[in-house]
Amino acid sequence: MKSNAKPILVIGGGIAGMTAAVEAAEVGYDVILVEKEAYLGGRVVQMNRYFPKMCPPSCGFEINVRRIRQNPRITVYTLSDVEEISGQAGDFKAVLRVKPKYLTGKYPVDVSVVEKLTGERNNDFNYGMDRTKGLYFPHDMAYPHGYVIDRETLSDTDAGVLQGSMPDDAIDWEMTDEKIKVKIGAVIIAAGWKPFDATKLDTLGYGQYQNVVTNVMMERMASNNGPTGGEITRPSDGRKAMNVAFVQCAGSRDENHLPYCSAVCCMASLKQARYLRDKNENSKTTVFYIDIRTIGRLEKFYYDMLDDANISFVKGKVAAISENPDSKNLILDVEDTITRENNHPEFELVVLATGMAPNSINIKFPSELLLNDYGFIEGATNIEGIYSAGCSKHPCDVSSTTKDATAAALKAIQCLIGGEE
Amino acid sequence: MQDTVGEKTKESPEAPVVEEKEIAVRIEPDLEFIRALSMQGGDLFKKCMQCGTCSATCSLSPDSKPFPSKEMAWAAWGMKEKLLRDPDVWLCFHCNDCSTKCPRGARPGDVLSAVRQESVINHSFPRFLGRMVNKPQFIPLLLGIPVLLLGLALFLRDPIGEKLNLSNFTGDRIIFNYSNMFPHWLINGFFLIISMIALIAILIGIKRFWRELRAMSGSNGRAGPAKSLISSALVSLKNILIHKNFDKCTTVHSRYISHMFVFFGFMALSMVTLWVISSGFNPLIKTDFVYPFGFWSPWKVLANLGGLALLGGLALMIRDRFRDNEHTSTGSYFDWTLISTLLIVTITGFITEILHYVRLEPHRHLVYFAHLVFICALILYLPYSKFAHLVYRTVAMIYAEYSGRNVASLRSKEIQYSG
Ligand SMILES: Cc1cc2nc3c(=O)[nH]c(=O)nc-3n(C[C@H](O)[C@H](O)[C@H](O)COP(=O)(O)OP(=O)(O)OC[C@H]3O[C@@H](n4cnc5c(N)ncnc54)[C@H](O)[C@@H]3O)c2cc1C
Ligand code: SF4
Ligand code: SF4
Repeated sequence: MKSNAKPILVIGGGIAGMTAAVEAAEVGYDVILVEKEAYLGGRVVQMNRYFPKMCPPSCGFEINVRRIRQNPRITVYTLSDVEEISGQAGDFKAVLRVKPKYLTGKYPVDVSVVEKLTGERNNDFNYGMDRTKGLYFPHDMAYPHGYVIDRETLSDTDAGVLQGSMPDDAIDWEMTDEKIKVKIGAVIIAAGWKPFDATKLDTLGYGQYQNVVTNVMMERMASNNGPTGGEITRPSDGRKAMNVAFVQCAGSRDENHLPYCSAVCCMASLKQARYLRDKNENSKTTVFYIDIRTIGRLEKFYYDMLDDANISFVKGKVAAISENPDSKNLILDVEDTITRENNHPEFELVVLATGMAPNSINIKFPSELLLNDYGFIEGATNIEGIYSAGCSKHPCDVSSTTKDATAAALKAIQCLIGGEE
Repeated sequence: MQDTVGEKTKESPEAPVVEEKEIAVRIEPDLEFIRALSMQGGDLFKKCMQCGTCSATCSLSPDSKPFPSKEMAWAAWGMKEKLLRDPDVWLCFHCNDCSTKCPRGARPGDVLSAVRQESVINHSFPRFLGRMVNKPQFIPLLLGIPVLLLGLALFLRDPIGEKLNLSNFTGDRIIFNYSNMFPHWLINGFFLIISMIALIAILIGIKRFWRELRAMSGSNGRAGPAKSLISSALVSLKNILIHKNFDKCTTVHSRYISHMFVFFGFMALSMVTLWVISSGFNPLIKTDFVYPFGFWSPWKVLANLGGLALLGGLALMIRDRFRDNEHTSTGSYFDWTLISTLLIVTITGFITEILHYVRLEPHRHLVYFAHLVFICALILYLPYSKFAHLVYRTVAMIYAEYSGRNVASLRSKEIQYSG
C-alpha cells in the first residue's frame, strides 16, 4: 500500500523538517527534504546549549543526521527552495530550484587555498559578527559536511586562485540554477523563524550602540565555534562582560511590533544567564521582564535560579537605552513596577531578548495559502494536503517542535493513504 | 469615600494612615466609576498589562512613584478615590508619548485625560452641573440659560426694543453701536455677576481638591514642604508661561505652539476685557477714555492680535486632532466642547467686529448676541468643563513644587556624563 504512494515534500530542513522527514521515512514513505541553506539543522545548530537539559545541540542533531543519512527514502536538497506547487492533495507537482554549488565534489578542497582568497562576506551563521571568505565551511557540524562557494563574494582573481589549486574538473563555473520537477502527495511546511529585526526597536539602541546585542548573537558568542571562541565579551572592547542586562519581550507582546509572546525568549535568557554564571565568574546579571514565562516543567529552571544572588529579576519592561559615550556602558530607562520606581541602571552589556518572526515563504501554491493574524501558518492549512510544523506554525521550543513535526508527518501520511483509495 | 479599606482606616482614629501600603488594601472596585471612565473614552485601561513602559517613557514623570502606570492599575481596579485625589494626573500634559510606546494600545495618556475629566466633575460644585456640562444631551439647556439671562437683561432694560430701533427698522444705515444694545454698565455688571458665580464655584472645587492634596502629603516620604507656597507658585507660573512641559512632548510637538497661541491669545483678550471693565474706576485710565476703541488704539490692536492667535492656535489644535496618526488623541467630548466654545467665541467676536465696520443691520446684533451667549457659557461653565484645567492644573503644579513632587526624572538620554 505504501510502496506506490507519492513522496512527501518537506520544506525547510530545521529540526522540524528533519524530524518530519525521518518520522515519515522510517515508516516507509518517501520524503524530499528541501533546505535553502547549505546545511541542515536550521536555527538550533546556532545555539550553544539547549534548555532545559543544557546539552549541546550536537546531541540530538547528530542522531537525526545519522537517521537521514542511513535512510534511502529521504532525498535532501540543500541550497534549494520550492518555486511552485500545483495540483491537489495526493497528487501535487512541485518545481524545486537548486542553486549551483560549483564544486563537483570529485576532489577534496585544499584548505590552504582559503587564506589566499581576498573577497569576504558577512558570516550569517554568526549573525554578522565575523566574516568568511567566498569559500567557506558553514560550521563544524554542517551536514552535508563540506565547503561552500559564495560566487558573489569571490573576486575574479579569487576564482582563478581557487581554480588553480584544484584539478580542472573539481569546479564547474558554468553551473546555474537547476529546476527539478517532482510529483508529490503531500507537503509539510517547516520553514521556521527568523529573529525579530531589533533595529526596529528605535529606543533600544541596537545597531547604534555596540554593546547592545540580541539573544541569538549571545548564543553564538557563548559557543566554542562562535566568533569569540566561546567568550562572552563586549563587542566594543573585547572585555569580559561582568554586568549584563537582559531585556525581555524586545519586540514581542507589543502591538507596534510582534503582538504575540515568542514563547522561548524567557527560557533563552535564563539559559544565557547560566552561561554567564559559568563563563564569567562573579558576573552579575539582571533580567528585566513583564512576566517570566516558563511553562510547565520549565518553571523549575527559573525557580532554581532565584536563589542565585548574582542574578536579579526586575519586573518592568525597558523603555529606552542610552550609551555612555566614554565607557560604552548602557543606561536603561525602566520602571520597577513592584517598587514603583523609575530606575536608570548601568550595564556593560545588554542582551535584547528578541522574539521569533515567522519566515516568509515565496512559493506559488494552487490557491492562496492563508496566514493567521500573526503571520504564521496553521497546522492544517486552508489547502488540503499541505501542513505546517514547528516555528512556521507558532513560536515554540525544540521539544514542541519535534512533537509538532511528528504530528505533521502523520497528517501527511494520512493524506497519502487517503489519496490512494 | 469608602472605596478602599485604606480610606476606611483613615476614618477610625486609632488606625494609622496606611495610604501607600497597598498590600493591605482590599480592593472594592467602583464599577460606576469604571463605567464613567469608559464613557469618556478611557476604557482602554483594561488592556494594560502593567509593563511600566509608559512611566519609563514619560518625560514629566518623577522617579519615585512615577505615572501613568500606577494610575492604569488603579483605573482597572476601579480605585476611584486614589485616582481623583492623585495630583499626578494633572502633571500629565497629554502629550501621548506614553500611548505611542504602550505595547498594548492601552492609551495611558487618554486614560489620564479621562481621569482629569472625572476629577473636575467630582470636585465641582454643584456636582450635578458638572455631570450635565459633560453630557451632549444637555447642550440645549446649557445654552438656553445664557440666552435666557442675556435676553432677560435686554428685556428689562429695553422692553419694546426702542433703543435698538428694532420696531421701525427700515434698512437705513442707522448709526449706532453695540452699546445701544448692551450699554457698558449693563454688560460689565452682567459679566461681573456671572464671573463671580463661576469664581465661587471653582473656589469650592479647588478647596476640595487642595484638602485632598494635603491629606495625601507625607505619602511622598517627605516630612515637610520642599519650598514655600509663594516660591512654588512663582516657579509654577514661570513654567506655565514658558510652556516648559509642552516643550518636552515628542509625539506631537506642535501642541507646544498651538497651546502657546491659544494661551497667550486668551490672556491678551482677558487683559483687554479687564482693562475695559475697570475703566470706570481704574486710575491708570484717563478720564477721556473713549469707547469703542479706534482700530489702531493699542488695546484694539492687542485684542485683534489676541483673537488671531486664538484662532490660529485653535486651528492647529483641531488639525492635530484630525491628523492621520494613530498615536495622537482625537479628543473626547470634554475636550471638544472647550475647543468648539472657544472657536465660536472667537469667530463670532471677529464677525461682530467686521460687521461693526460694515454696519450690516440688524444681523450684527444677532451675531453679537450669540457672541455674548458663548462667552457667558464659557465663564459660567468654566468650573465644570475642560476649562477648569486652567485652575486645577495650576494648583496641582504648585502643590507638586510645594511637596517636592515636581522633579521629573532625567531620562537616560539626558543624563550628563562627567567623563
Ligand atoms: C535565542 C533563542 C534561544 C533558543 N534556545 C532554545 C533552547 O535552548 N532549547 C529549545 O528547545 N529551543 C530553543 N529555541 C527555540 C528553537 O530555536 C526553535 O524551537 C527551533 O529553531 C524551531 O525549529 P524549526 O525547524 O521550526 O525552525 P528553524 O530552526 O528556523 O528551521 C527552519 C529551516 O527552514 C529553512 N527554510 C526557511 N525557509 C525556507 C524555504 N522557503 N525553503 C527551504 N528552506 C527554508 C531555514 O533555512 C531553516 O533551516 C531558542 C530560540 C531563541 C530565539
Ligand atoms: S517568552 Fe518571555 S520574553 Fe519572550 S515574549 Fe514571552 S514573555 Fe516576552
Ligand atoms: S505601557 Fe501600556 S501596558 Fe504598559 S503599564 Fe503603561 S499602559 Fe499598561
